[in-house]
Amino acid sequence: MKLSRELDLLVVVYLAVIVFCILYPDTFLSHKMLLAFLRGMSTDGILAVGMMVLMVAGVFDLSVGAMMSLAGVVAGTLLMKHHLPVPLAVLAGLLVGAAGGLANGLVVTKLKVNALITTLATLGIFKWLTLLLGGVSIPDLPPGFAALGQTEWPAGTWNGEPWGVQTPIWFMFGLAAVAHLAMSRARWFRQLYYIGANPKAATLSGIPTARVQLIAFVLCGVIAAAAGLAFAARLGAASSTAGEGAELRVITAVILGGASLQGGRGTILGAIVGVAFMQLVNTLLLVARVEAHWQWMVTGVILIAAAGLDSWKNRGRSA
Amino acid sequence: MSASTADTLLSLRGVHKRYPGVHALKGVDFAVRRGEVHAVVGENGAGKTTLMQILAGVHRPDDGELTFDGRTRTFATEREAQAAGVAIVFQERSLFGPLSVAENVFAGRHPSRFGVVDFPRLHADTAKLLERVGLTVDPTAAVETLSPGEQQLVEIAKALSLNARLLILDEPTAALTPAETNTLFGVVRGLKSQGVAVVYISHRLEEVFALADRVTVLKDGEGQGTFAVRDVTPQVLVRKMVGRDVEFERPADRTPGNKVVFEVTGLTDRDTAGRVRLTDVSFAVRAGEILGLGGLVGAGRTETALGIFGGRPGCGGEVRVNGKPVRIRSPQHAIAAGIGYLPEDRKDAGLFLDMGLAANVAAATLRGVVLNDAEQDRTGHRYREKLRIAARGGDEPVRALSGGNQQKVLLARWLEVNPAVLIVDEPTRGVDVGAKREVHAVLFELARKGTAVVVISSDLPELLALADRVVVLRAGRVAGELSRERMTEEAVIALSSGVAR
Repeated sequence: MKLSRELDLLVVVYLAVIVFCILYPDTFLSHKMLLAFLRGMSTDGILAVGMMVLMVAGVFDLSVGAMMSLAGVVAGTLLMKHHLPVPLAVLAGLLVGAAGGLANGLVVTKLKVNALITTLATLGIFKWLTLLLGGVSIPDLPPGFAALGQTEWPAGTWNGEPWGVQTPIWFMFGLAAVAHLAMSRARWFRQLYYIGANPKAATLSGIPTARVQLIAFVLCGVIAAAAGLAFAARLGAASSTAGEGAELRVITAVILGGASLQGGRGTILGAIVGVAFMQLVNTLLLVARVEAHWQWMVTGVILIAAAGLDSWKNRGRSA
Repeated sequence: MSASTADTLLSLRGVHKRYPGVHALKGVDFAVRRGEVHAVVGENGAGKTTLMQILAGVHRPDDGELTFDGRTRTFATEREAQAAGVAIVFQERSLFGPLSVAENVFAGRHPSRFGVVDFPRLHADTAKLLERVGLTVDPTAAVETLSPGEQQLVEIAKALSLNARLLILDEPTAALTPAETNTLFGVVRGLKSQGVAVVYISHRLEEVFALADRVTVLKDGEGQGTFAVRDVTPQVLVRKMVGRDVEFERPADRTPGNKVVFEVTGLTDRDTAGRVRLTDVSFAVRAGEILGLGGLVGAGRTETALGIFGGRPGCGGEVRVNGKPVRIRSPQHAIAAGIGYLPEDRKDAGLFLDMGLAANVAAATLRGVVLNDAEQDRTGHRYREKLRIAARGGDEPVRALSGGNQQKVLLARWLEVNPAVLIVDEPTRGVDVGAKREVHAVLFELARKGTAVVVISSDLPELLALADRVVVLRAGRVAGELSRERMTEEAVIALSSGVAR
């Protein structure tokens, strides 16, 4: 598997980091900054893994942000109102993700409604469920749950600063590493590339196209729920707006990282590097003290630029 | 030369066209007279399509001169060529399915008043054009409801709406039934009598001899001469095209086994609109036998193959492999039961165009939990050597390969599966003569090793060369069966079209 797109983007990220380090030597070059950077990208990084899996198979999920909020609120409600133990609450959150993904997948593969319409609709439904269950926000989640998102490992300090890396960051890297290997080596995941590249030919080659896509939706739902749980744990609160706008950021990052709306291309490494690039841009805006709403505009511009670059590179290609 | 200058409508002299890595046209001369039907023949990659694209203003030549109506011209865009009176009907349809016939004919050029479309005039103008091409359909009907043949005529009506003086038809009969082809021929002759010059590109030499006044042969981007059709024979043209006489070869020692390995009984199917497509189709194939499925386009050959292979949910009937009944609900089940299917449209339903040779070959044999890339590459390489697939490497996207090599990649996929039964649907469509023979050799070899092969082909000489026996379908039913001794083109055509003999 060639990784040229991923390497190109890595070089860009690397060069940008060097430039920023020269421009803002005090803020940029610190362990604390690096940790803040990784923490900032951890949620989108987790989501991007699921999104890349789907986009390789030629579909996508706009409801990941809404699912993130919903899973957090479900776990929060169970913990605060029903006093369930933490593992059960986490499990319930993940099951909600699986159910949501299953719903998306069934509508897309059985009813043959396209992914845009389906997941736009479920985005609305998940949002309603979130507000119905949890209201605006559930604060003060129990420490046992918060520990899932706030524990630092390895423990200890360095130059008076905490040294350890927080769990969501570990989780992002762990998930990405496993998923990257699976996508490049495992038979089941390789089927996704065939399906995305030519669904008809994949079916006629004996690949169970609909079933594989369905399971990919479930995976994406579970991963989105996991991102939501990690996010809620990190903040110690489950917010109904936790995942707002995540779909835009994550799809932008994944397209930037080499995915195509037509499917059949992209790697998990690309997705993570794409998220890192987005985080770098956001960090720069933050350091340069630009107001937060600019992030939305910048993200939109990057999405169009990334997609435009791909069409330009593929110009003149037929069929 | 000078004698014919007056009636020459268009001429090209010394035209060169280079693409990255390909010298597509190497100094071609080409001239079309007013009111003639001028055929252009050549193998795939000979430069026919490039030549036509230059005539139609799609591409500009790198070198050479184009004269139209006595004036030296350069067509910078398709619009300029159209304005001068050159219209092209491409192989790939350029119609808008949900829109009406009239809106297709006048796409982007609706007659209008103050920006409001003048529908009565649009429909009246369209009706006049449809009459010229002998098409009796409602101008307000959606184009997607028409048959392929009718759609082709709509394309021609669209070209005529531009007041074309030179009409270029690129493989117009590829998707047509014989009856539709006849209608098309009538239309072309009618246009000729109205003074329109027609350039006719075709793979089918019999069409050239039925229709054309003159014929130009291209080979590897070079002109091999222009001939009056009445002065040449098909054999001469074929020799000019390939540099050798072509006749399909058939091994002398074809001895199919006696054991029946594949039985289809009572295959019945309807399409989504509820029309009956297959009625009680039954046949059997022995080990090592090549069975030909004959019939016209639309007779149910592909539906039969897809029905067997699990590609048409709802298709009823019984399938037995090696005597055992198998339940097939999807292609996955069919492959597990030992049945393979090479689809008729390789780009649409067969290949993963952006993937390499090795990944394409492996598509039907993905096994285990972890894939072995090295082994996949070795397998790909083995077939590249064995089938002489002209690909640079295992990673090169198969999009870049010629039709013949793409077809070999698909064959390699099924050789690797090694099914008990292999159904091949139009295995050499759009493939040059040399590659056709190689594909045939692979199928014979497969049969020799005991595979039951079912061949669907609209190319009758090919079907007759390959098959040990032919079952002919007509309107979704088995119309009859011909043994090797009774197999002639006439017999197959008679069964296909229901002509009593």
